[in-house]
Amino acid sequence: MTPAIPRISLIWLLVAQALVILPHLAHLPLWFTGLWAFCAAWRLQIFRMRARYPNGLAKAALILATAAGVFWSRGGLIGLEAGTALLMATFVLKLVEMRTQRDALVLIYLGFFAVVTAYLLDSEMLSALYSVLPVTALLAAMVGLQQSRLAMQPWPTLRYAGKLLLQSLPLMLLLFVFFPRLGPLWSLPQPGSKGISGLAESMTPGDIANLGRSPEPVFRASFEGATPPRSELYWRALTLEHFDGRRWSQTPDLPVLATDSWQAQGQNLSYSILMQPSLQRWLFALDTARTDLPGARQLSDYRLVNVSPVEQPLLYRVSSWPQVVRDPELRPTQQRRALQLPAGNPRARELAAELKARYARPEQLVAALLTRFNQGEYFYTLKPPTLSGDTVDAFLFDSRRGFCAHYAGAATFVLRAAGIPARVVAGYQGGEFNRQGGYVQVHQFDAHAWVEYWLPERGWQRVDPTFAVAPERIEQGLEAALAEEGSFLEDSPLSPLRYRDVALLNQLRLAWDNLNYGWQRWVLGYQSEQQLGLLQRWFGEWDIQRLVIVLGGGGVLLGLLMALLLLKPWQQRLDAQQRVYRRFERLLARHGVARRPGEGARDYARRAALVLPQQARQIEGFAECFEVQRYAGIASDKGQLAQQLRALRRALPWRLSRLDDGETTR
Amino acid sequence: MFRDAYRQRWRQWLNRRIPPARAVQLNQRRIFILPTPRGLAFSVVLLLMLLAGINYQNSLAYGLTFLLLSVFHTAMLHTYRNLSGLMIKAAGVAPVFVGEQARFQLRLESRGKVHEAIACGWPPAPLQIADVPAEGQALLEIPLAASRRGWLRAERLRVESRFPLGLLVAWSWVDLDQAVLVYPQPLPGDLPLAAQVGLEDEDEGQRIVGRGADDFQGLRTFQPGDSRRRLDWKAYSRGQGLLVKDFAQLAGRDLWLDFSSLGGDVEARLSLLCHWVLTLDQRQQAFGLNLPGSRLEPATGAAHREACLKALALFGSASA
Repeated sequence: MTPAIPRISLIWLLVAQALVILPHLAHLPLWFTGLWAFCAAWRLQIFRMRARYPNGLAKAALILATAAGVFWSRGGLIGLEAGTALLMATFVLKLVEMRTQRDALVLIYLGFFAVVTAYLLDSEMLSALYSVLPVTALLAAMVGLQQSRLAMQPWPTLRYAGKLLLQSLPLMLLLFVFFPRLGPLWSLPQPGSKGISGLAESMTPGDIANLGRSPEPVFRASFEGATPPRSELYWRALTLEHFDGRRWSQTPDLPVLATDSWQAQGQNLSYSILMQPSLQRWLFALDTARTDLPGARQLSDYRLVNVSPVEQPLLYRVSSWPQVVRDPELRPTQQRRALQLPAGNPRARELAAELKARYARPEQLVAALLTRFNQGEYFYTLKPPTLSGDTVDAFLFDSRRGFCAHYAGAATFVLRAAGIPARVVAGYQGGEFNRQGGYVQVHQFDAHAWVEYWLPERGWQRVDPTFAVAPERIEQGLEAALAEEGSFLEDSPLSPLRYRDVALLNQLRLAWDNLNYGWQRWVLGYQSEQQLGLLQRWFGEWDIQRLVIVLGGGGVLLGLLMALLLLKPWQQRLDAQQRVYRRFERLLARHGVARRPGEGARDYARRAALVLPQQARQIEGFAECFEVQRYAGIASDKGQLAQQLRALRRALPWRLSRLDDGETTR
Repeated sequence: MFRDAYRQRWRQWLNRRIPPARAVQLNQRRIFILPTPRGLAFSVVLLLMLLAGINYQNSLAYGLTFLLLSVFHTAMLHTYRNLSGLMIKAAGVAPVFVGEQARFQLRLESRGKVHEAIACGWPPAPLQIADVPAEGQALLEIPLAASRRGWLRAERLRVESRFPLGLLVAWSWVDLDQAVLVYPQPLPGDLPLAAQVGLEDEDEGQRIVGRGADDFQGLRTFQPGDSRRRLDWKAYSRGQGLLVKDFAQLAGRDLWLDFSSLGGDVEARLSLLCHWVLTLDQRQQAFGLNLPGSRLEPATGAAHREACLKALALFGSASA
């Protein structure tokens, strides 16, 4: 049996446990807090000799009850959530039956692992900074386990742990930058969804209006080169082709577009996008896009989709060619889909027929429709009235108040009724420019819907009816468009985005956002491609050989450096007194009295005093002082000894070189 | 066989590397370092954390793994540093009887820095732990069971440190050239008649003035060196100061403890002689010791007792 746990270690263990559990509490069922308090209280009572350790029966009951609790509140014992809950429960239960150092060690190791699971649930910069606290406390508990004088002193123990961490930072950075990143070795249960609001696979016009109330970030984009004007930033997410009279939805099982189905042409935009988890597969990009993200594909409606739903922040690079002609010819199935219409909405169909009769060319027809939106009494609002029956008719001719999705849906309906293939595109428009960080931040309230119609040979053309109604929405953003209505983020009174007109607050907010972006890009996003890119920029080519040289060489170099700093081999094994004594010897040797091998301090001084009778007093004074400090165990005062030596040096005639030994020793 | 040969070579190698000396300072030639079982468990935990980092593509999990790996490396330097420069000196040991624990005194001295939780001992016995303050020293008493009479040469002493995290152990085997004299185990028993002559009262010897154990002759004041057994506590409690009961010795025929007059095997005889050496010494009675090959003339006193015990301890060995 290993020895018992020192008190300080126990204290630091309890502190570390609290620090480890804290970030988990939000993800754990409520009863867990009770379990924790119960176990901690029991442990403290054991410590105060007022309770016993649990016996086998009590332990079994506790374990079973906890497992049942996890099963009940997590719907199973498998999966990341349930696994984390079980890990944390073990972490807490172990506290009660912790008797020996080995138990304490198990608890500490569980604690380290619990910190890692906290990272899986939340990897924000602040959480990462916070995690330094539990790690330090766990190390302090580990130091406290050693039977040293530190085992009685809490603060020095913590300081020691902090020192260890600080001294380990350089090597950690080296490993972090150069250690090769691998793809997942096998698939593991991923963190569950917490219901992320965002674009959905189908929408009624009101859905996007609801998104318009959310200040949550969606993604950030950094352009290489100049950022295009915001009126050009139409971030495509998905197309909605099927209309059932109320709801627009996407076509299921769209075929994948072959990579050679379109040729890059015209102006090129290169940018990288850091996406927040959306739990959806689609990726955001400007038209017409290609990405180097492994596994990502382009569907026949020119949107990009990921291999799997985006559950972690995702960084990918995109190249877009806005002038590419998309689908110069439409296949019959495509044509059918782009003209599909349900029955109903007679007035809208009438309008379409009227427009078609008047304008032969589709562009003219579209322009006329936009003019109608612009000239007619149409309003752009986040609070549209609820519509029923023939919703398109009701919107176009009666309420005339709507959000972007109303305009996009109605325009598509009219175009289709007039025989022009058209579809609704959902995504985001614009974004907030962060000048400091040189990127565009897109929020949920930038959600937008617009229209694409098809022209023979010229392919799909983008048209935005919202622009005709509320051009400020496109040119300046939602806030400007809703300025009169005052409904921008009215549900989130505390969102810092509401206070953009307070200059200082706004600068702080942008700086903070910039910092987070850097964190996500350079720390969280530092995976295989990002790493390869960085290393190639630094070293030109990057291969396994260089990896071994840099990682191995750097490691050895850092290790040596740390060893030098810690062990200080240049400080001879001589201590301070001995160093002073060595100077004394050299001084006397210059005056012809070299210490003989094995000669004691006292004998040497006596002999030197005989040879140098005029300085006998100083020589003996020094020797006495040295003896007192060295052997009588009186607290050593280096200064005093050095002072004695100075006195002797002053008393002796100045001499640079050594006297010929023969002169005086004879 | 192989084990013994291996052990022999290991010992020779150690003797070359760390020659026996009364004082040994630990340096890089003399310190070995390896992970402990705890350290191995720690690396398994790190491996699991790395797997979590890889499978979840989580940079922070990578980061923590690397941080703890670096801590492991730093701890290695700290553990080594904690032991290096430590001076270990033999600080003496008192002779013991067979069956007792010899208590070897060790002095650990710091030549500048603090040495935390230094453990010393002869495995498999548990090691003794001490902290050595900067420029200070710590005293340790390491017990070693004495099972045979004669010189007990202490084996190489294990000096180790697991500070600060217990993940690594730095150790050295130092030979402080220490040995303790182990006396035979005193076993009570009767002396054969031939030897008991002097104990009988039949021919009363001449009473002489001086110290002895035979006849009470009065009280005198205590002098350092007097046996405490003879203190007159009653007189002390009456406030008469420390008085010693004085006995006169009967100087009769010299008492001889003779090995050859005893029966039984050698060790049993030595044990019996040892018992009587102690008993007679306690009675402050003069006696001589006659062993085959050595002869100690009758005398009293501590020096005589030690000489007799030493002769008994070393009886039959080459260095006797």
